[in-house]
Amino acid sequence: MTYRSVYVHVPFCRHRCGYCDFTLVAGRDDLIGDYLDALDLELKRVEGVVEIDTLFFGGGTPTHLPPEALRRLFEIVLSRFRLASGYEFSVEANPANLSLETVDVLAQAGVNRVSLGAQSFDSRSLAMLERDHRAEDIELAVRWLRRQGIANLSLDLIFGVPGQNLAEWRETIRRAIELQPPHVSAYGLTFEKGTAFWTRRQKGQLEQADEELERAMYAVAMEELPAARLVQYELSNYAHAGFECRHNAMYWSGEPFEAFGPGAARLIDGVRQTNHRSVFTWIKRLQSGESPVGETDPLTAEGRARELIFVGLRRTSGIDRRIFESRTSLSLDALAGGSIRRQTSLGLLEDTGTHIRLTREGRFVADSVIAEFL
Amino acid sequence: MGFRRMDPQYIRNFSIIAHIDHGKSTLADQLLLKTGAITQREFHEQILDDLDVERERGITVKARTVAIPYKHTDGKTYELNLIDTPGHVDFHYEVNRSLAACEGALLLVDAFQGVQAQTVANAYAAIDVNLAIIPVVNKIDLPVTRVDEVLEEIESILGLDPYTALKVSAKKGINIDDVFHAIVDRVPPPSGKADNALQALVFDSKYDSFRGVITYIRVVEGTVRKGQQVQFMRGGTMHQVLDVGQFRPRMTPVESLGPGQVGFFLTGVKEIDKINVGDTVTDVARPAKKALPGYKKPKQMVFCGMYPTDSNDFEKLRDELQRLSLNDSSFSYFPETSDALGFGYRCGFLGMLHMEIVQQRLEKEQDVDLIQTAPNVTYELLLRNGDVFTIDNPQDVPDPSTIDEFREPIAKVSYILPKAYIGPIMQLCEERRGTYKTTEYMGSERAQLVYEMPLAEIVYDMYDKLKSVTSGYGTMDYEVIGFLPADLVKMDIMVKGEKVDALSTITHRSTSARRGRSLCKRLKEEITRHQFEIPIQAAIGGKVIARETISALRKNVTAKCYGGDITRKRKLLEKQKEGKKRMKQFGSVEIPQKAFLSVLSAGDE
Ligand SMILES: Nc1nc2c(ncn2[C@@H]2O[C@H](COP(=O)(O)OP(=O)(O)OP(=O)(O)O)[C@@H](O)[C@H]2O)c(=O)[nH]1
Ligand code: SF4
Ligand SMILES: [Mg+2]
Repeated sequence: MTYRSVYVHVPFCRHRCGYCDFTLVAGRDDLIGDYLDALDLELKRVEGVVEIDTLFFGGGTPTHLPPEALRRLFEIVLSRFRLASGYEFSVEANPANLSLETVDVLAQAGVNRVSLGAQSFDSRSLAMLERDHRAEDIELAVRWLRRQGIANLSLDLIFGVPGQNLAEWRETIRRAIELQPPHVSAYGLTFEKGTAFWTRRQKGQLEQADEELERAMYAVAMEELPAARLVQYELSNYAHAGFECRHNAMYWSGEPFEAFGPGAARLIDGVRQTNHRSVFTWIKRLQSGESPVGETDPLTAEGRARELIFVGLRRTSGIDRRIFESRTSLSLDALAGGSIRRQTSLGLLEDTGTHIRLTREGRFVADSVIAEFL
Repeated sequence: MGFRRMDPQYIRNFSIIAHIDHGKSTLADQLLLKTGAITQREFHEQILDDLDVERERGITVKARTVAIPYKHTDGKTYELNLIDTPGHVDFHYEVNRSLAACEGALLLVDAFQGVQAQTVANAYAAIDVNLAIIPVVNKIDLPVTRVDEVLEEIESILGLDPYTALKVSAKKGINIDDVFHAIVDRVPPPSGKADNALQALVFDSKYDSFRGVITYIRVVEGTVRKGQQVQFMRGGTMHQVLDVGQFRPRMTPVESLGPGQVGFFLTGVKEIDKINVGDTVTDVARPAKKALPGYKKPKQMVFCGMYPTDSNDFEKLRDELQRLSLNDSSFSYFPETSDALGFGYRCGFLGMLHMEIVQQRLEKEQDVDLIQTAPNVTYELLLRNGDVFTIDNPQDVPDPSTIDEFREPIAKVSYILPKAYIGPIMQLCEERRGTYKTTEYMGSERAQLVYEMPLAEIVYDMYDKLKSVTSGYGTMDYEVIGFLPADLVKMDIMVKGEKVDALSTITHRSTSARRGRSLCKRLKEEITRHQFEIPIQAAIGGKVIARETISALRKNVTAKCYGGDITRKRKLLEKQKEGKKRMKQFGSVEIPQKAFLSVLSAGDE
């Protein structure tokens, strides 16, 4: 099976937010030129021009690149890939400093989906998250994107921000819905090792949201968003019918994909590879003609099947036994019958006979359910 | 140059004994250095403490023997057989064994700390077997010393002549010549004859995967030599001596060992159950009339269950216990089973430090992953039908209605401490059901306090408590003197409604409610939350006396899982799963290894 999806990682931001552990260099715009050259080198490994269905630019903040650089980025990538008809071309954008000019560049390149890092509509949470935009910037960004014909918009929201209360979270959801985006992602804030938040929590300077509060916030998202026709289709994702992100759905169904840029991960021929996570090392390796790959993780057939359960359970539609079996040549019940029964009896999993899927309660503790299947 | 046929007249056998940390191993270093037995280049501190656990903890756990050639001022070369002994109370048994192989003892006393609890215990042990005792005040280089008072203590408490005491610094090498002179002049030479029938005392052994069993001996009568056919008089087995040697300190081959000499021999035996410490070796061709007295079996104070984390490792655990027991004859082990933990062993130890060390040696040296249950002492039961029996496992307590008397071991405990701390320690002893016996003042500052207390109240943590209450100045020693009836009960623990036998304990009824509560609390901390609620209950005879509940997981979900997150997240979850393998699945609940020991620390608060 050849890949039909491509991810490109753009590792630049103005400032590294306290909770962020993505591969990026903040405040090092001087590296943009080298990055683009290296990316060009990495893309040279692609033979010919490949037709794909979904293309996703993530980061970092792709729109942090100045318009000319952004234009060059798209040129480099699109010279290697042809977008099939009905394609999905997504870019992550930051509502802060999203200029009209940048929006133009996106539209001209053929971008037809933008995921906006809105995060919150209340200024306290935005400040805590160290985001340098205001609620008004989100509304403005939405208006500009729509004016340029990019209507397939997603708003990213974060809950469980230290200090945030349930009313504030409800208000953020309300204002997001008010903007009528066809897609919303709502993430519970996680404390990742190596981030400033992690250290501050360690030192007791930052208090992680209480588990019950986080649970209540997740519950609010799962109620309010669907009430606005934003149907939950994955643990953190909600969309109007037909607006589910096809690129992300591809990850959860275990399909192959290519990826470029520092820290980018690909799945080709059943092997997961991750490029070196250091932007500098990634550039250097490519400059000196070496492979940018940092880690390779070959999976056994069973390992791949278990991983498919692991990602598949994230989707609310769950796992279709027939599809699972045809893809892995393994029987779901032979592989995990005991776990399925146990989790079903605890009310965390639902078994319809044709499908298994997390129950509403199961979604709250999805990791503990998924861990059973590894 | 070897030691050819040593004339016993030029042999001196002595132990170095003292309270813990008073400098025994450091003095041994000096004696080795000064005689050139080790070179400055090979030297490192406490060179004889070569077990990992010893180096990590900075204490001696096992007695060590070294043969040192020493050229005296009279021009003659003497062979000094030195035994460095451990000072910790748990290893008192090792000291006794060492003393049985000697004619003299260097009794070290710290120039500042003075006579302490184990100084007294070890000095009496040496006096009991009529050894020549050379008191040595060590650490005279310390900035603050109390040499004169320490000399007084040596006289008034130990009854030794203070004028015969040496004053040295083992660390700085001050007055070490005095030590050599005293050894040559004051320790009597061994009395055996080289031509008599062979009698050699087996005082230790060790398993070496290349050489097989190494038997450590002290020759009392006769000679042991390469090629000889020897017999273990109690064990009954016969072997050919393949090699004979001495520890100098490295294993060094010699032609033979004569009366008074200390060393080892190899027989190539690989079965480790063939050798018994305390046995006597004799010549098959000309056997001795009778065996040497041997050793009294040590009395284990604390018992705990040891189970392989992975039940497939049971046989490995058995082999490793057997192997280790060859090098440490003072712990016992018997197979037992537990509903919760499967097949394992009930092991007996001389004390808590001993237990920790055996566990550590099993895990580190032998690489077995263990679950250890909380330790307990031995109990004696008088049943209604008149039967008396002892148990060392709470699971063996019969139905209370059949018990007439539940008896616990009582120890005589002596504390040596500065007078200022007498009050707080007495209070602590009263709280722990102690019976006051005597107080004796030692000079103007210190006192010796004697109590009789249930062993269970002291053996687990009294030493730590004493150290913290007395800012480190108090020391203690204890010995079991008998059993007394007490109001004891067995307390069971139920996890999610099911009794976990390995968590049962025996406690005094008066403290059972408090212990039950604190134990439930500890378990609540140790057991991670599950997908469901887990009630934890403590019960006596089916009646619940304490309860805690571990709430179910409420939220546990990774928010983002896209391309690169998948591998990372999978690895993270797999690692957690790996960690769970080290837990015991009990019903639907996973109980971590540590939880079984937490019963121990649940007494306080
Ligand atoms: N100042 C000073 N310190 C000493 C002297 N002798 C030993 N020490 C120190 O005392 C501590 C204990 O010394 P060890 O030789 O290990 O004592 P030990 O009696 O063998 O201890 P255990 O075997 O655990 O009973 C070490 O830190 C030594 O350096 C001495 O003469 N002067
Ligand atoms: S803007 Fe996004 S990618 Fe950039 S540092 Fe903040 S959280 Fe990370
Ligand atoms: Mg020592």
